[in-house]
Amino acid sequence: MKKLLALTLAGIMAVSLAGCSQAPEEPGTENTTDNTVENTVDTSAQKQATSTTGVTLEFLYNLNGEAVSDAVQEVCRKFTDETGIEVEAVMPGSNFSDIMKTRMASNQLPDVWTTHGWAVARYAEYLAPLNDFSFASHIAPSIKGQITDENGDLYTLPIDVDLTGIVYNANVLDEAGVNADDILTWADFEDACEKVKALGKTPIQLGGKDNYTLGNMMDYVAPTLITNENEANENALLDGSFDWDNWNAVVDKIDFWNQSGYFNVDAVTADFMTGIGALASEQAAFMFTAASGITETYVQNPDTEMGFIPMPAREDGLRRSLMTGEHFAVGMSNSTKYPEEAKMFMEFLAREDICSYLATKCGMPSGLDNVTSDTGRLAPFYDKYANDSAILNIPYFDRKYLPSGMWNDLCVTGGTLLSNQADAKATVIEQMRTSYEEKKAQE
Amino acid sequence: MKNKKILGLWKYLLALIIMVIHFVPIYMVVAIALKSPYDHSSRWIFPGYVYLKNIQTALERGGMLSALKNTVIISAVAVVLIVVIGAMAAYPLARNKSKLNNVVRGFIMGVMMIPPLSILVPLYSYMAKIGGINSYWGIIVTLLTFQLPTSIFLFSSFISSIPVALEEAAAIDGCGPFQTFFRIIMPQLKPVTASVIIITGVNCWNNYQFALYLLQSPKIKTVTLAIAGFFSADASNVNGAAAAAFLGILPLIIVFLFLQKYFIQGMVDSAIK
Amino acid sequence: MKKQRGTMINLFYIPAIILFCGFVVYPFLQGIRLSFMNWNGYSQNMKFVGLKNYIRLFQDANVKTAFVNTLIYGVVSTIIQNILGLAYALFLNMNFKCRTIVRTIIYMPVMIAPLIMGYIMYFFFQYDGGAINDILIWLGKEPIDFLVNSNAAISIIVIVNSLQFVGVAMVIYLAGLQNVPAMYYEAAMLDGATFWDRFRHITLPLLMPAISSSTILNLIGGLKLFDLVMALTSGGPGFSTHSLSTLVTNQYFSAQSAGYASAIGIISFVLIMVISNVVTKYFDKKEIDTQ
Repeated sequence: MKKLLALTLAGIMAVSLAGCSQAPEEPGTENTTDNTVENTVDTSAQKQATSTTGVTLEFLYNLNGEAVSDAVQEVCRKFTDETGIEVEAVMPGSNFSDIMKTRMASNQLPDVWTTHGWAVARYAEYLAPLNDFSFASHIAPSIKGQITDENGDLYTLPIDVDLTGIVYNANVLDEAGVNADDILTWADFEDACEKVKALGKTPIQLGGKDNYTLGNMMDYVAPTLITNENEANENALLDGSFDWDNWNAVVDKIDFWNQSGYFNVDAVTADFMTGIGALASEQAAFMFTAASGITETYVQNPDTEMGFIPMPAREDGLRRSLMTGEHFAVGMSNSTKYPEEAKMFMEFLAREDICSYLATKCGMPSGLDNVTSDTGRLAPFYDKYANDSAILNIPYFDRKYLPSGMWNDLCVTGGTLLSNQADAKATVIEQMRTSYEEKKAQE
Repeated sequence: MKNKKILGLWKYLLALIIMVIHFVPIYMVVAIALKSPYDHSSRWIFPGYVYLKNIQTALERGGMLSALKNTVIISAVAVVLIVVIGAMAAYPLARNKSKLNNVVRGFIMGVMMIPPLSILVPLYSYMAKIGGINSYWGIIVTLLTFQLPTSIFLFSSFISSIPVALEEAAAIDGCGPFQTFFRIIMPQLKPVTASVIIITGVNCWNNYQFALYLLQSPKIKTVTLAIAGFFSADASNVNGAAAAAFLGILPLIIVFLFLQKYFIQGMVDSAIK
Repeated sequence: MKKQRGTMINLFYIPAIILFCGFVVYPFLQGIRLSFMNWNGYSQNMKFVGLKNYIRLFQDANVKTAFVNTLIYGVVSTIIQNILGLAYALFLNMNFKCRTIVRTIIYMPVMIAPLIMGYIMYFFFQYDGGAINDILIWLGKEPIDFLVNSNAAISIIVIVNSLQFVGVAMVIYLAGLQNVPAMYYEAAMLDGATFWDRFRHITLPLLMPAISSSTILNLIGGLKLFDLVMALTSGGPGFSTHSLSTLVTNQYFSAQSAGYASAIGIISFVLIMVISNVVTKYFDKKEIDTQ
């Protein structure tokens, strides 16, 4: 026992004496929006603060990243200061949706939670309609349809709106001699990939260990090949009559990229963060991820230059597309014990100063038309694409056209396509068909 | 003579190789925990500088201190109950040779074999109904139940090896079964108790599945949850995660070092039916 | 009098039985009920579908893969842990210094949560900057993408699991070896028995109880393997490295087929029970034979 201790100590000393070099410097973090809620937010209504009411609201949210998470906590504290109502804001991590499913199953929901794209399709059964709130008339038109059900009931408060295309590293594209704005069709995109490949860098970065990155790819590519400007397919997918042989278009495209060597060598086994690292170190050009991926990249290397382009069209003459969806959107339980307090919290979140502060922290356009946000280094892109009628604005493919639960199939079949197994393509078509039929039957 | 010396050396060489293989994971945790996030050198290289910011991050952002406190409370209470209830159930199991006992034994084995996930959702609903979510007692009772079989088995093999003579003497002196158990049997269980504490204690400390669902409030987060939060899909701070992992393993290793003498002895006495 | 006493001490079972019934049996029965339903896992509506989930299960290629993987994780890990654990125990039973340190270090990984161990091991086997590839590059070799091949990934999971928990088997065997009286060996030496003879005819038979408990413990642990698979491969590529436990989670939450997932859970319980019972019976017989 004593010997062991002595040995360990000796070991530690040996290594610590081995070299007394300096720790590497942290890269100078450009002072991006280091503002606190106190000095951005209109403080007039503040500090008449009340004694606590004894009510604690539970707020579950699923926004990753330290900056955003800190902002959420800060806003909740401010709400407590103003109203005396406590808010316990919880971020359960990557298991968020599993936890929410467990809680729905046992009818034990938090008072307020983020709906991450599923306000209508999954959570509507448990959410209170928000039509009577004053913010209901200010919902940005680009997202309104997605968060309202067929009866016109609004289910979530969109603090910001996701506008997603393909993320790229501008320095890598420059080096390869590609102008991102010239990528109009998948053929152009593939030309660009060839040029990046010729540099010896990775054209498309995937992180198959976190298989949602593969799901993203399927989800981004599918609408351009199947549903964009193709009403027949749109209707067929929705009414259950879709012929899954058409899915071969998606399968062939991804298989072609794979055969052409556009993906990183470790596409199947790398994780998401490896991909961010590759973009940050300018080793990879494109990645199928939301704009939050850009923020992560800047954390690792603030000196690089990132951007995003709309999804290319399948052929000349068709329009490119960007996906819009919920990002930071908050719904309220229809069975909360504290409906009044929850309402106050929702109104507080929709207040111009608060909403703007949160959307700015996320770096995304606000989801309310009376609120503006500072999207920082991404502003030029949002400005460029927001009102461009040459670009289609589409919902996320799986949320709109596939029954709930098929996201998993997109993720898994993406992996099958990369696995190089002999009958991969046929397996994928079959899995999509079976799962689609089974889930449609559940509805 | 020379031969013998070489033979001896061979043992030390082998011992060294074995130690290196099994020590590597912990070495790597420590090496990564002490490295700056901007140090992209190989994971094998131990940092040549002192960088404690990761530990600070783990303590502050990861809330490791409160997680450690929660885990200590949960594990300690659970282990005490696992020992007492386990030893109690083991007593009739070891002493009565009857049909009922075979049934009970089979039942306990069955409990060990249920994959926890297949009952997770019903368990959650049930816990929610009786108010066991986000509470110490909810997770403690769950851990207790799932660790009991191990405890019962270790105790019952041990009790089988204790001669009955003492209990019979006690009975003649007019001791009831309860008195006999607490006065005569319990004191003799010391060595095997160390084994039970270590084996079930490690499982309670490291539990992830149940804690993830039953403990959602950050106030009651456990060590494994805190560490997993760091490692979770989008988290970029591998070094902070490693620091948290290191802080989470450290108390276990210390307890183990103190108990290990009894631990092995306890296994000696109980592994042999 | 004695009889009555025996019945009295049955009262000692009560706390344990109450806990088992309340927190295991009851939810488990609910799980059985769910396995006959078509349910997405979160809605308040579910449909009774009879045996449909069970019929589907027997036709599902992914379940078959997970079934085979579960057997590999359980059986192969158990074999490795026992052989290696016994070898370690025999080695540490020899006479040399620092045995305690070696023993402690072999046992240490047992104390790392399997989930965390999985994450650490991902640092070893990942392609980009993984610890093993660092060595390969240092040796001038091409880096390898270890986890891309499902067979390799399965082997890695088995090896990591075995090496992490070999300490448990080792401790059980060390304990068992203490009970082999030295005089047996001495007598055998006098008769001119070789090391192998002594091992086969004295050590092994006397270790039977230890072998039996170590096998059962490791087997149940291996067949329930979950965290490590999740952290290393998340069941991929495709469905190729899923165990039954991880497949249950995948189907329950991600695929939203909660009824089907419950059916898989029930089947995997039956599988573990059948295998453990066969093994227990085998060892019980063996122990009687050798006594």
